[in-house]
Amino acid sequence: MTVELQHPMKADATPQETARGRFVSGMRSLILNDLAGDMGEAYEKRAAPKFRKANGRDPETSREAHEALRGDPAFNIYSAMRVQAQKMVWASVADSVERESDRLAAEAAKVADVAGGAELNPELDVPKNVHAIDVHLMPGSYTRGADSLEAGAVYDRGLAVFSMGLMGANLDDIGLSMAQYIKLRFPDFTPERILDTGCTIGHNTLPWKQAYPAAEVIAIDAAPGPLAYGSARAKMQGQDVLFQQMCADDLAYEDESFDVVWSSMFLHELSKKQRAKCFEEAYRVLKPGGLVVHMELPPNDQMSAFDGFYLDWDSYYNNEPYYKGYRDEIPADLTMRAGFEGDDYFDFVVPSISIYGEDAVREAAAGDRAEAVGQETTGRLAEGVMWYGFGAFKK
Amino acid sequence: MSAERPQDTPLRPEDAPPNLYDVHGNARFFADPAMDRFAAVVMNLAQEVWVQEERLLALEEAKSGQSVDKEAKVAEFIERVFEPVRKA
Repeated sequence: MTVELQHPMKADATPQETARGRFVSGMRSLILNDLAGDMGEAYEKRAAPKFRKANGRDPETSREAHEALRGDPAFNIYSAMRVQAQKMVWASVADSVERESDRLAAEAAKVADVAGGAELNPELDVPKNVHAIDVHLMPGSYTRGADSLEAGAVYDRGLAVFSMGLMGANLDDIGLSMAQYIKLRFPDFTPERILDTGCTIGHNTLPWKQAYPAAEVIAIDAAPGPLAYGSARAKMQGQDVLFQQMCADDLAYEDESFDVVWSSMFLHELSKKQRAKCFEEAYRVLKPGGLVVHMELPPNDQMSAFDGFYLDWDSYYNNEPYYKGYRDEIPADLTMRAGFEGDDYFDFVVPSISIYGEDAVREAAAGDRAEAVGQETTGRLAEGVMWYGFGAFKK
Repeated sequence: MSAERPQDTPLRPEDAPPNLYDVHGNARFFADPAMDRFAAVVMNLAQEVWVQEERLLALEEAKSGQSVDKEAKVAEFIERVFEPVRKA
């Protein structure tokens, strides 16, 4: 199903556009549930035995599972259809965004004086990973339309199709689930200043403001257009959040000035060097007692070869060049190299709050790790999705 | 930000074998690259058929006064059209 956006910048779609979006969402559901299952069966029945025969052992890594599956009919069908479905996601919303550019600007203008806002920095050298590749096959990437509302609108409307209803009614399920988990697991922790890094349109920023209404919430990203859009979107939803154009590996903030540094689905879009610097910067700007917490794909070392490959697929075929490199890293190592201490590190799996409800999140927060990371539904945008996160408090 | 996008240096995973992509940089899966294109054509065509189907459903809704569950209908449509690729 395609989600209907919860703010005035939602598409005034033609019946044809609505039908196209519905079809693409339905196709993605077939591909990510049924065809993915078929590919898993083909791996067990054909690809892994063939690899075993050739190598005298089972595939042990994501890369070996990938090698084993290349050329298998189930892999070919899943992959060719998934790539096309991804292109169709963005194509299904492009016309309405182009047609409605004036209306979007007018809607944003109506909330120009509302608290919050976007501070863009035209001097910022936007990194190559943000503009030089059509990230997840999104034409023009995050810098499409420069600082206009275009990239944000394509992303927001595209995500509504892409998510198949699994990212919540406001596309904020990750933020809602994670913020609620932290609040329940650490009830005495009351952050006053929260930073979201790599926020895109701020859809997973707003839940932190909702969880901690008294906190000052700032969201940064390197791409200007999504920030302009995200700011208007936040204001329309009554959330006072400041959006600033900035790179997470070069924060223009004082030392020890935040209580939380957060990100969602961001670290895998950075090079290894950028990622390491992000952790160093997070450590620098956190106050003692502050929390760094990230929602991300689970790491390869905690998954089977096939499940690891299933997530790494995006790295090769969905224009996510750093995805596998990130998943090959150990989150605890990344955190500790930046200065956090091992006994302050934790990782966890949160049930989607939209699917499983608040009680399930509460139950997860009551234990160290309610579910094994390596289970099939963790990190997969498919039926029964659960989110992986990790973090550490700064001493 | 540079205005030009360097097309000659595509960002790829460090361990990606070059044969994963065609000369245009598109991912390829089938032995015959034309099959990759045909898969896309089939999906586009099915989408356009669904667009017409949904318009017909709207007319039938208007005529009968009864609403139709379009999410269920599209799932049935997709299952029917793409049944041959299941269990490959």
